[in-house]
Amino acid sequence: MSSLSVSAAGFHLEVGWRRRALAFVTAIALGVAGWQVATWISDGWIPGVGEILDATGEALVAADTWDQILITSKRILIAFVGSTLIGVAIGMAAGLNRKAEAFFRPLIVIALATPDPLYVIIAILVLGTEESSGIIALTLALVPFVVTIVHSSVKARESQLDEMSAVYRLGRRRYLSRVLARQVTPALFAAARTSFAFAWKIVVLVEAISQPRGIGSEIYEQFRLLNAAEMIALALIFIVLMRLVDAVVFGGLERRLMAWTR
Amino acid sequence: MTDARIAATAGSLERTGRRWWSGSAAASDRLFSALGLLSFVALWWLGSVTSDFVPPIGEVLDAVPSFLTEEDIYGDITDSLTRVVGSLAIAVLLGFWAAYLMARRGFWGLVVARYVDLAIGLPSTIAALLALFIFKRSEVGVFVVVTIACFPFVAITLRQGFLSLDRRLTEMGGVYRLGAVAQIRNVSIPHLVPYTLASVRNEYAHAWRVVVIAELFAVNSGIGWRFTQAYDRFLLVDVSLWLLVFISILLGTEYLILRPLERWVLRWREGKL
Amino acid sequence: MSIPFIDVEGLKVSYDGSRLVLDGVDMAVEENEFVAVLGPSGCGKSTLLQVLSGLLRPVAGRATIAGHDMTGSAAERPRVGYVFQDHRLLPWRTVAANIELVLEASGLPRSEWDARIDRYLDILQIGQFRDAWPMRLSGGQRQRVSIARALAIDPAVVLMDEPFSTLDEVTARTMRQQLVDLWQESSRAIVFVTHSIREAIFLADRIVILTRGPARLLEDVTVPIGRPRRYEDAEITELESEIVDRVMGVWGYEEQQPA
Repeated sequence: MSSLSVSAAGFHLEVGWRRRALAFVTAIALGVAGWQVATWISDGWIPGVGEILDATGEALVAADTWDQILITSKRILIAFVGSTLIGVAIGMAAGLNRKAEAFFRPLIVIALATPDPLYVIIAILVLGTEESSGIIALTLALVPFVVTIVHSSVKARESQLDEMSAVYRLGRRRYLSRVLARQVTPALFAAARTSFAFAWKIVVLVEAISQPRGIGSEIYEQFRLLNAAEMIALALIFIVLMRLVDAVVFGGLERRLMAWTR
Repeated sequence: MTDARIAATAGSLERTGRRWWSGSAAASDRLFSALGLLSFVALWWLGSVTSDFVPPIGEVLDAVPSFLTEEDIYGDITDSLTRVVGSLAIAVLLGFWAAYLMARRGFWGLVVARYVDLAIGLPSTIAALLALFIFKRSEVGVFVVVTIACFPFVAITLRQGFLSLDRRLTEMGGVYRLGAVAQIRNVSIPHLVPYTLASVRNEYAHAWRVVVIAELFAVNSGIGWRFTQAYDRFLLVDVSLWLLVFISILLGTEYLILRPLERWVLRWREGKL
Repeated sequence: MSIPFIDVEGLKVSYDGSRLVLDGVDMAVEENEFVAVLGPSGCGKSTLLQVLSGLLRPVAGRATIAGHDMTGSAAERPRVGYVFQDHRLLPWRTVAANIELVLEASGLPRSEWDARIDRYLDILQIGQFRDAWPMRLSGGQRQRVSIARALAIDPAVVLMDEPFSTLDEVTARTMRQQLVDLWQESSRAIVFVTHSIREAIFLADRIVILTRGPARLLEDVTVPIGRPRRYEDAEITELESEIVDRVMGVWGYEEQQPA
């Protein structure tokens, strides 16, 4: 059986890994080629791929780079944990209780409609320019997304099981842990993963604007100095690292989760 | 594909949007919503009391009439709106094409999928800085940033649409000899409409958020630029006013235009009378 | 001897090229006959209809309607009406628009469309739903639209694939009676697939019984009961027991083996 064949059952994607690797390589090759064309058109203003690779190499071995990454990672972690906890609490409450839902509705709608920079601005105005205001801004910006996912999943639960729980007088604790948890766990996981994904993207903005140290502010610094290659290098390292963390941590957890729910 | 999961939650965002707002709001619902709004006001008041820098809500509201009569602001509002709508249109076209390729599962679909993946994983701030660097301060830069931010989500949603094209309806078309053009026009495209509308609505809100970031860095006009101007000059009442403007436009267009439009287009949906 | 109106000979059909779903089926239907195709679940009865409608090409054998090969080019094939088990109406088009869609593809002149739509909707007693959205109708009403759609194009034959199996019993009874009335009035050939022996006996002139998959013709039973028939008739029950006895051994008690 050639790895290029698609299974006759139709819907399962196993297009062979060789094909996917080839597609990946092609995508990179086209991207690099396109970028070089851009470099050439811009007369070197846009740094060439070679330049970028050099800068990346240098950045990778510079201790400062990793200091910055560490700082940023701490912020991401705090915001991620905080927003997930707060978001799950609110989302659950809103999903289970109609009054809570009505209460939070306008807040969430407004929060979703507020652009990210505003969170930073407001945090700075209220809390001053300390370290914590950036983290708080980030956390608050993430909460609405978590709430949304959790809320919709809790609302989508089987109401028949609610009735069953009431009839058999299972009580709050048993209901939450035995009946609701199973149904809602995938969404909780998705919410956490989403929170992390947004966290590392928005933290760049937070750091670029409010500029205590961190990868985001470094990237902005390099930009201001017009060191495009260095800026891109840092961005590349950061993005690849974050995606790796996501794939390893959340990907791994997901596999465990799937196994557990079977 | 982690970010595909994010896009899938965009779907749940949409469903939640419906859940938050649809259905008859009982009297107690309205009461609690009003309380929620009130708590927002209370938070604002708290902020203005604890910090010298947050303007009291009364002051901001007083400034609204004169603010709205300044002609100046409408230029920037239009600029931002144009960028949002324009980029969204391009994003939909690109997303459509990408989704089609990806759904076919051909080789180029796999290649395109890598780019979609890349675009989802690119923080808008970095994109904005890059665009500023490459395009200097031009419209193109903003359009590129917003389009790149939005098109992958459109692609993912539409890919679902393409993949779920019901074989049964195309079979029916085959029996009654509808022919390729009639099939596409009457079966395939109407099937894709709900997916397109859903992704447009989600990405509309997303585009507004990204446009502000792009305007923060990459250009000298628009609401995002106004935010930075006001903030840099410590005109905090202005910051609040622009925030109100932003939220009103976003929510206004979404609830007064997009959702009713979507309901009208999809009026054939379930609901036995 | 004249060729039957619908002539199926030695039909062998496979979906994936390896396993046969139909293994040499023969069947003949006259121009105004009502023939039921009976078989256990999964035996390929629907597949037979798919070949007759031109949706599927056989591996071997032949299927012709009015002398035209249904597996050949689409252009010359006679019109076929098809009523699916799931209604397959386009939910984004009104009832009338759904019928117009197939009328357009059938080549019938536009001037006739409205008359046809009204006529068949009225006969099936759903005239008032002409401009309704399909998803607002009940299951029975949707199936009626599906039947009206099949008839409106003036087909050479109407193929029906277990059309009443998803309906509740009362609705199904009404629909069966309506179907017989319609058929008697228009005297078109109908090929009706079902897994219910009683339904087959009630409706059909002849019953073609298939074996389990890969299916072949097991028996061709003529229904000697005069019309009009009542669903509870003793004669029907008698014939039903006879058939059950004959097929029990062949169809067997056990579930169909997984594919």
